[in-house]
Amino acid sequence: MITKKINKKDIRKLLMTWNQEFSVIVPTRERGVAEMVRWDNNDISFLDWYRNTVIAPKACFLPQSEVMISFQKKETGYKIEVPRDEHKQIIFGIRPCDARAITIIDQVFADIYDDYYYASKRRNTLLLGLSCSNPYDSCFCTSSNVNPAESEDVDLMFTDIGDEYVIEELTSGGKALLNMSNMIKKVTKADVNRAKEMKAASVEKLKKRVDTKDIEGRLRSCFNDRDLWERVAAKCISCGICTFLCPTCFCFDINDEMIHKHGARYRGWDSCSFRSYTKMPMENPREEKWRRVRQRVCHKFEFYPINLGINACTGCGRCIRLCPVNWDITQVISSLPADISMHSS
Amino acid sequence: MTITQIKQNKKGLALDGNVYLPRIMVIDRIIEETPNVRTIHFHFKDTKLNKEFTFDSGQFAELSIFGVGEATFCISSSPTRKDHLECGINRVGLVTNALHRLGVGAEIGFRGPYGNHFPLDLMQDKNLVFIGGGIGLAPLRSLIWNVLDSRNKYAKIDIIYGARSVSDLCFKYDLDTWESDKTLNTVITVDKGDGKWTGKQGFVSEVLQDVAPSCSNTIAVVCGPPVMIRSTFPVLENLGFTPDQVITTLEKRMKCGIGKCGRCNIGNLYVCRDGPVFTYSQIREFISDEY
Repeated sequence: MITKKINKKDIRKLLMTWNQEFSVIVPTRERGVAEMVRWDNNDISFLDWYRNTVIAPKACFLPQSEVMISFQKKETGYKIEVPRDEHKQIIFGIRPCDARAITIIDQVFADIYDDYYYASKRRNTLLLGLSCSNPYDSCFCTSSNVNPAESEDVDLMFTDIGDEYVIEELTSGGKALLNMSNMIKKVTKADVNRAKEMKAASVEKLKKRVDTKDIEGRLRSCFNDRDLWERVAAKCISCGICTFLCPTCFCFDINDEMIHKHGARYRGWDSCSFRSYTKMPMENPREEKWRRVRQRVCHKFEFYPINLGINACTGCGRCIRLCPVNWDITQVISSLPADISMHSS
Repeated sequence: MTITQIKQNKKGLALDGNVYLPRIMVIDRIIEETPNVRTIHFHFKDTKLNKEFTFDSGQFAELSIFGVGEATFCISSSPTRKDHLECGINRVGLVTNALHRLGVGAEIGFRGPYGNHFPLDLMQDKNLVFIGGGIGLAPLRSLIWNVLDSRNKYAKIDIIYGARSVSDLCFKYDLDTWESDKTLNTVITVDKGDGKWTGKQGFVSEVLQDVAPSCSNTIAVVCGPPVMIRSTFPVLENLGFTPDQVITTLEKRMKCGIGKCGRCNIGNLYVCRDGPVFTYSQIREFISDEY
């Protein structure tokens, strides 16, 4: 892999260069909540305070609310318009857990039909990763096959080595970005070694672990254990915050609004935590809370592996950090009994 | 016979590569079936699409009223009859109530067709038993007319249809036609008849037991409310049907119709993407009982 570096004090200039051709998106404290937002072409203080965003970067491709079509009622019938969004963007500072999450949900939005709105933003976006040097206590990415300091899910990977960032080129798109700037320098052997040390130190900082071995089979064998799921779900208040903040939760709702003759069809995040999510006029397959909690756990760790061969949890820890009742997915997984089918034969 | 998976979906129209973009349809006829169910007939406003559009029996579509929203409906007309499309609308929610307020000439949005379909190819030369309940006749009648339009490709045909009351019987004009068709055995029942009802009384599952169609070289197709489906499976098993010989179509709350919005899953399967048509043997293998 080709590796380069840049001095930290040149980062602002680098982002400014890119910001002329791309929309540069960086971690920003919007209304007190850290999320990926269009850069103001100036402030790089996030390099000091940023650990991870509260709102996962999936929001850059699947916004909390977006217009799908707008329509107008005319004499001759309805006229429909689709918002065009083809601008190129760079997300700078994405963490390896969240970059993996994008790779995971890419598969959903490309399955059978391309999702027009997700795909048009995704194909015009480059992901620039930033090694995690200060993970939260609730982070457990190393248990989810994610390395906090390495990523193959990004175009460029930045690692802090003190006064400089070492930059790994992972794609031709990333390489082209580096070619736009004359502030990119060659690395020395010492730089590469220093980056290795920093990366190893990052991994060391991840203390929280969860054993996901046989998780698919373990969930399968306790799927119908209602008592277990009622215990697991007992303190959940179905607020849905875990799903809204989860980097791999992608469920959405579609709704219309119309005032006089002008209207729009929106989609917005929805959540399997909500009773209304599956409610039909005559019945509701997930009326009970334990079924909804089971759905969330099993979707990540059982259904996803069956359908796509990968756990849909990247260990970012948001659902633990931000849960109002301290529900902890790692405790749930650890408390599951062993896979019965493995012992019965 | 083994149907491991029913696949080969006809894909939905994607205008400008955008599968969510609805086509405009114009309602050209409305039939009030029951106090709560109406059938709307509609065609593409862009008339050349009326010829281009194809679908298979069992597939569904997202209909929308602009400003109100989208909802999921199976296409209840047969693909063999191409001049228009039909959907049966049961008045239960926001969109269906709004659809009940529309008149002829109104414009609605249409996305589809989505989902898989009934396996017509596997039904050839077989005896067929169609079992329907209430509005569940909507997807079934698409298949029945499809089959009847090539009647000589199939062997004996039984149609068993029931509703809660006489006034809840849908598609009465079809029922009349099928009852007078000597190549079919059509049995209609209501849970409880009114004074004038001379036909059978009782649940569909009970009438099925009385009719007792032979399971030999036969496929049964069951469409109706979940309670009817669940009570019919054991009766069919008693009659000797194997789970592979029983096909049904499931209904769930849906938004996208294409396996992305998440809500219609039963275990790892999405009803919109992997169904809505399933064999009973597939259903028995479902991870979850949430159907």
